[in-house]
Amino acid sequence: MQPIKIQPIKMLVDFIDLRLGVKDLYTKELNGYLLPKNVNAWYTLGAVLVVLFKLQIITGILLLMFYVPDAEKAFASVQYIVNEVPFGWLFRMLHAIGANVIVIALLLHMLSVLFMGSYKGRREFTWLSGFIIFNLTMGLCLTGYLLPWSQLSFWATTVATDAAGAIPVVGDYLVEFLRGGPTVGNQTLGRFFALHVVGMPLVLLGLIGVHLFCVKRRGISSPPFGPDYSGNEDLPFFEHEKHPGGIPFFPNYFVKDAAVICFFMAFLLAIIFYAPGLFFPESAFQPADPFLTPPHIKPEWYFLWAYQTLKIFPSEIVGLGVQGVFMTFLALLPFIDRGPERRPGKRPLFVTCYVLGILLFVAISVWGHYS
Amino acid sequence: MSTHVTPPQRRKFLFTMLGGIGALIGAASAWPVFRFLAPSDADSGSDQVLVPRGDVVAGKAHFFQYRGKPAVIMQPSPGSFIALSAVCTHLGCVIAWQEQAGEFLCPCHGGRFSADGQVLGGPPPKPLESLVVQIDGDQLKIG
Repeated sequence: MQPIKIQPIKMLVDFIDLRLGVKDLYTKELNGYLLPKNVNAWYTLGAVLVVLFKLQIITGILLLMFYVPDAEKAFASVQYIVNEVPFGWLFRMLHAIGANVIVIALLLHMLSVLFMGSYKGRREFTWLSGFIIFNLTMGLCLTGYLLPWSQLSFWATTVATDAAGAIPVVGDYLVEFLRGGPTVGNQTLGRFFALHVVGMPLVLLGLIGVHLFCVKRRGISSPPFGPDYSGNEDLPFFEHEKHPGGIPFFPNYFVKDAAVICFFMAFLLAIIFYAPGLFFPESAFQPADPFLTPPHIKPEWYFLWAYQTLKIFPSEIVGLGVQGVFMTFLALLPFIDRGPERRPGKRPLFVTCYVLGILLFVAISVWGHYS
Repeated sequence: MSTHVTPPQRRKFLFTMLGGIGALIGAASAWPVFRFLAPSDADSGSDQVLVPRGDVVAGKAHFFQYRGKPAVIMQPSPGSFIALSAVCTHLGCVIAWQEQAGEFLCPCHGGRFSADGQVLGGPPPKPLESLVVQIDGDQLKIG
């Protein structure tokens, strides 16, 4: 007689499947979810960002256990986390440097979508929700920047909030409203803290949900390269973009996702262990002093372009206007660029503007850094 | 002997390796989280606390922190000192000194203790924990 073989994992899966139909979900959403045959590594950046955002939530919750959002105690609480709490330095670094890596991944994600024209084919909502996520992430970076209550935090926030004063009529009131008072102080810390840990993350989670829904509902776009590429058909009705004969998301593409996620995690850990001071100038280690502005105070690298643009134009309002026009143009790009062609080789004007735009961003940022 | 590896064998090997590596990474990630959340030794305070002798007046109770918990020291007769944990042995409330009655009362459920920590009445199951006191000049060394 054959001995009865007990398979606990199979029994557990069967138990859950009987109640929730998970095997059907696996077939439909993972193994049966087909991606274009020529899908490339740039498509993994969404998954990378999901993992990085999750890391921010986990490390953020851990830091909250020791952080004190009070102007008198905030700096000391961060110092305590970094110097006294076991592995506090690691979670603080993962959170602060992870935010920079998120911005890098977001920029790469958006640049790859632009280059491959993936915003086309009635994906306006996908692009718009992604664009708002990008801006919200910038807001999270700005509000999070103040929380350590260092000289850098204090004066970078003073400069950033002061920029709103250039808006005619309501500017001065807006600055005071943003700060919760005439200057950056305890009340600013309170509102930035609330926005950073509750308000903005809640909106961000909702928006990520909308973005993923749009991606899933509309269907993944095919990369516009190689013989497999076929243009979008302008049908007068909704149609989910399918990829018959494509590769399964799980396990095939999942492995590629995992590999790029590992690469980004290695990149993040490499900065933490080999260049921990990369994003922390000296003023980040001095407690905020409202009576002493440190020399050469600069915003984070991803705000340098905006900072320098304000300096280039003789009037702040013109500088703000230029930034506003550029960002609005970028937000509405899928509504403006209506042509069906997605192959970069067939879009010389777009590619020229794209390359020049990146060079301009880099040049203005470098100029801002050394100015 | 055949060295041929069948696809199911290969799959099983790869899954085992992947599971092992995953478990290692999981454990390596969980350890810092555990250490970050675990109570710090520094928070529990020193094993020995010094209290100035002048702070402990005869007939009165002097409360202080000992290893992160409230404790109390008394001088029942001149030159003799008693130190006790101020945490009630019933449900952990902090006892209060009743000068008139010359006893400790737990305000939560009415537990009563004598000045040397013995249970006089109420629900406490055992006496208050006693702490060692040494006289060191003008200081009282507790613990």
